[in-house]
Amino acid sequence: MESINVLIIEDKPEESGPLQEVLLRNNYHVVGVAPTYNEALTLFYANPVDIVIIDIFLDGKPDGITFAETITIVPNASKPFVFLTFSKDRQVFERAKLTHPFSFLMKPYNELEVLYAIEMAVEKFYSQAHSASENQNAILSRDYLFIKKKNSLKKILVTDITYIEVEERYCNVITSEEKFVIQISLTKILELLDPAKFTRTHRNYIVNTEKITEIVVADNLILLQGNHKVTLSDTYKDFINQFRIL
Amino acid sequence: MNNCILNNLFKKCSILFFLLFFAFPLIAKVSSRYAFKIEIYRIEQHFSSEVNFKKAHYYYLKGDWDSTLVYCMRQLNSPNKNILLHDYCHVMRGMGLINKGLYLEAQKEFSFVSKSFPFRNKIKIAKGIIALKQNNFSKALIFFEGVQEKKSYYFYIDKSSFYHNIGLCYFHTKQFNKAEKYLLKGVNLQLAEKDTLEMTISYMDLANLYYEQYKDQKAIPYFEKAYRLSKKTNNFELRKNAALNMAVVEENRKNLPRALAYRKEFEQWKDSLNDQNKVWAVAETEKKYAITQKQKEINLLEAENKLKIAERNGFLITAVLLLLLFGAGIYFYRQKIKQNAVIAAQKERLDQLNAAKDQLFSIVSHDLRSSVNALKTSNGKLLDSLASKNYSQLDSLLHANSSIANGTYNLLDNLLNWAMLQTRQHYFHQEPHRLSAIAQQVAYNYAPLMEEKNIRFESTVPPDVFVHVDLDSVKIILRNVLDNAIKFSKENDTIRMYVQHRETPFCDLVVEDTGAGMPADVRDGLLGTAFSIPGSHRESTGTGLGMQLCKSLVAKNGGHLAIESHLGLGTKIIVSLPVNP
Repeated sequence: MESINVLIIEDKPEESGPLQEVLLRNNYHVVGVAPTYNEALTLFYANPVDIVIIDIFLDGKPDGITFAETITIVPNASKPFVFLTFSKDRQVFERAKLTHPFSFLMKPYNELEVLYAIEMAVEKFYSQAHSASENQNAILSRDYLFIKKKNSLKKILVTDITYIEVEERYCNVITSEEKFVIQISLTKILELLDPAKFTRTHRNYIVNTEKITEIVVADNLILLQGNHKVTLSDTYKDFINQFRIL
Repeated sequence: MNNCILNNLFKKCSILFFLLFFAFPLIAKVSSRYAFKIEIYRIEQHFSSEVNFKKAHYYYLKGDWDSTLVYCMRQLNSPNKNILLHDYCHVMRGMGLINKGLYLEAQKEFSFVSKSFPFRNKIKIAKGIIALKQNNFSKALIFFEGVQEKKSYYFYIDKSSFYHNIGLCYFHTKQFNKAEKYLLKGVNLQLAEKDTLEMTISYMDLANLYYEQYKDQKAIPYFEKAYRLSKKTNNFELRKNAALNMAVVEENRKNLPRALAYRKEFEQWKDSLNDQNKVWAVAETEKKYAITQKQKEINLLEAENKLKIAERNGFLITAVLLLLLFGAGIYFYRQKIKQNAVIAAQKERLDQLNAAKDQLFSIVSHDLRSSVNALKTSNGKLLDSLASKNYSQLDSLLHANSSIANGTYNLLDNLLNWAMLQTRQHYFHQEPHRLSAIAQQVAYNYAPLMEEKNIRFESTVPPDVFVHVDLDSVKIILRNVLDNAIKFSKENDTIRMYVQHRETPFCDLVVEDTGAGMPADVRDGLLGTAFSIPGSHRESTGTGLGMQLCKSLVAKNGGHLAIESHLGLGTKIIVSLPVNP
């Protein structure tokens, strides 16, 4: 499980300092603090960034929005971002709104508000805004599975997942090193996972095909890396045809 | 001798005159014989459905030539193209045209008759008559003799007229012997038929024939006969001519008194005829005059009518224009009244708002002044304590300062938000949020304050409650509500935050305290639109701005606010927020 990489764009050290402290306290990794637009771009492209916290006004100019606009129009470069602002001035927001999806944080803010804004930004960015009926604590993107843990947000590489076991409303995510419980519906996770890499072998199991070491058809068993065993049910046997059997 | 020549000359002149005169009635009679009529009647019976033919036939018999021509034409234009019918129509038209004196057209009509027509003789005779009329006597004779040569000429021919016409032709071509023969034949037949009119004419013609040959002895009895017969007819023309002939005859016989008597009679008939003509002419002119008079009147009336219509139209147009003008006037007047009403309402509202603003301004400035004043005196004490190195007091003084600063900040924050809301400048965007998260975030800031006052805080908002709100405005609402709850709570009191109803469309978030509570009138005042009156209970009541802001923001989110309170027992603030968009 990795920490989330955060880039802070803020020109006043007296504001970026406490923000950095809050993030560090909650196990986020701050890749850098950029006081200007140019430095922000440099840092953004030089580091792996998962989320950007942007002060709208840098040195009195709305360069924060300019930065957001810049990264939104670059394909595949865009990341979730949170705007920091003192004022709810509509004119500023009308411009910020164009870089939708976005989340914002009003100054002065407390710790909880920062964390909530980050969560909102990630959820919105990956278009997985919670609906009233669901109570999920995981957000799945193309490359990462973001997991809410208490107030913090963690991520794991999707390719690291060995298999997922469904238990009622929870899913056990098993990687080579760890095991997590996430709240997300099976249908949703199937929708979001790449079907070329993950396949369903049983009503309760989704397996990363790259982690399969052996399939014992006779015993209806699939052996996975790390000595995990998963049941193969008759309903889902067809997936074997995807492989070329020597 | 001299006299005799003169008389002779006169005699000849008058005879010529008679001849021209007598030709007409004779010819008209030629067609009036029975065979043709019977045949035409038979055909009419046969084609009983052809109304036009029936009418044509009827008028033909009656001698109404105009009507005959019209109905024959209609029959010819009708869809029934029976040749026999057409032939009869053409014949009837021909006869009609002859009688109207239109000989060329009559000839044309006859040429349309088909070869199979049974009464070819009749047509030949008719053609002969036309030639006779045109004074082409030899041509007429050819036609008549052509008829005579045929064996069938006896049938269907009005023989007396036929013979008479041949006689006339010979007479005019100076073949007096033949003329005498045929004329006598005609007279004999007419005698048998007892046709007085024809006989008179024939006698006159015979008399003229003999007179032309100077056979006065033979001529005179015929003239006398003709004169006697003419008395029996009522044809003025005939009687006039008969009288004239007798006058000429008596004159030649030198019987002047008698001649004079005849001539007088002639004059009498001529006069009567002329009179008749004159009367007709006068009547005609009178008629014409009357018609022109009427026409003039009509023209005058028409002109008057036109004038009247023009006048009426003018009135109408003016009336319509006036009406339109009136309508437009009323419309604009009403618009103006409406506008005035709107302007008055706006003015009233603006006055109210302005008054409210003034009030708010005075409250806020009062509040700020007292706050800053408290801070000033507190800072003075702080400096004193620092100078006297009384460190134990520093802590409590700083805390007091901090709480004053906090209160002032909250007031200013509310003021800013209120101003933004009033000027509609703030960004407002509703989206789903987890209510528990919002509640936590707001409560987080108040934790130290509550701890300081030793207030127990319980939040039992379930994490799966979502509301569709603008995040920041809900935070402002909750901040104010919590701030109030803390402000009115005593030590060891409890503040509870929970969800009461979570069914759609509203979710009720309740903030309940066990603090001072408030009387009903204060509660109603809070829910009303007025700000609180400055000066009364400054310490604990506040400006009322916070509550107004809450109400406005809740309403803007599509929810509503309720207060339940009992003096001394505590207060329940119920914030209802929408669950769905």
